[in-house]
Amino acid sequence: METEKFEEQLIRMSKPGVTHLKHQDMLAEAIVKAKDKSVLSGWWLSIPLYIIAALLMKSFFMRSTTLVTNMHEFKGHDVYASLLFFVLMPVVFIVINYISIRKIYFLSGSPKTVRFLGSVWLQLLAIITSLFIIIIYSI
Amino acid sequence: MTESELLDKIKADPAQFAGVFKLYYVPIFGYILRRTGDFDATADIAADTFLKAFLHIGNFNYTGIPVKVWLYRIATNEVNMFFRNRRRHNSIFEKFDVADKEEFKSYMEQDREAMESELQQHEQFVKVLGALKTLPEKHQEVIALRYFEGKNNREIAEILNLNEGTLKSLLSRGLEKLREKCNQF
Repeated sequence: METEKFEEQLIRMSKPGVTHLKHQDMLAEAIVKAKDKSVLSGWWLSIPLYIIAALLMKSFFMRSTTLVTNMHEFKGHDVYASLLFFVLMPVVFIVINYISIRKIYFLSGSPKTVRFLGSVWLQLLAIITSLFIIIIYSI
Repeated sequence: MTESELLDKIKADPAQFAGVFKLYYVPIFGYILRRTGDFDATADIAADTFLKAFLHIGNFNYTGIPVKVWLYRIATNEVNMFFRNRRRHNSIFEKFDVADKEEFKSYMEQDREAMESELQQHEQFVKVLGALKTLPEKHQEVIALRYFEGKNNREIAEILNLNEGTLKSLLSRGLEKLREKCNQF
């Protein structure tokens, strides 16, 4: 009974209201001009992809080598660069794109799977490419 | 114009987003103000809400969820993040490139005065809000939407993506907790 009374009080209690905001039109203009500054450039992934393509070409023209042996040779030649391009960068991309997909899912109004996949295909492609780079590096 | 037509227009011409802004900025601003009780936080959170909506409206597929519900969802999440991290959002002045900064500043000052006086006139509400802020996030959300915004259960369930059973239980437990807190005044 007491809770019902309290509920009634909450409903009847007068609340602060907003009817007009002077800054509204200027802010609308500024927002429409805004650009998303959080986009991570996918061009960074082109570096390991370029190296993989070069190693693949090498294995194609030098019959005695394979992509795997060329990759081992590259790893031995420059450990830190190979770790940066083939492990660290793809992992960062996977994490960032995963967070981005979650954000888009929420901001898209939790759409159905097929529609949602259509709107995050770029992020999914970045994750698949990153996984591909890590797999090539680790075999 | 239906919402789906408005969304199609925005997808074709992003400048049409001003239409969404015109329709929903004031109610969403009011909702955030009644959640935070603070003009500066409200202005920053409301700007973030509409910026996110603008940047992601292309991903918002028309699935029957009204734009207003979607905006309430984003605003609720932004308010929760604000309370959770207790972080200051970047000031509205740092984030946006407004045409005339001085004029914008003066409008913001006038709006601040109006909102602060509005809050001062609702002393009882401010006290209840203070008590509400001490409750868990889920209880805060449902109580604010039900008793401050006057939404019905179906609307709240849609905004928070909950089923009505869970919502009813959150409402009754939250209300009980809020009553206990308010009795301590």
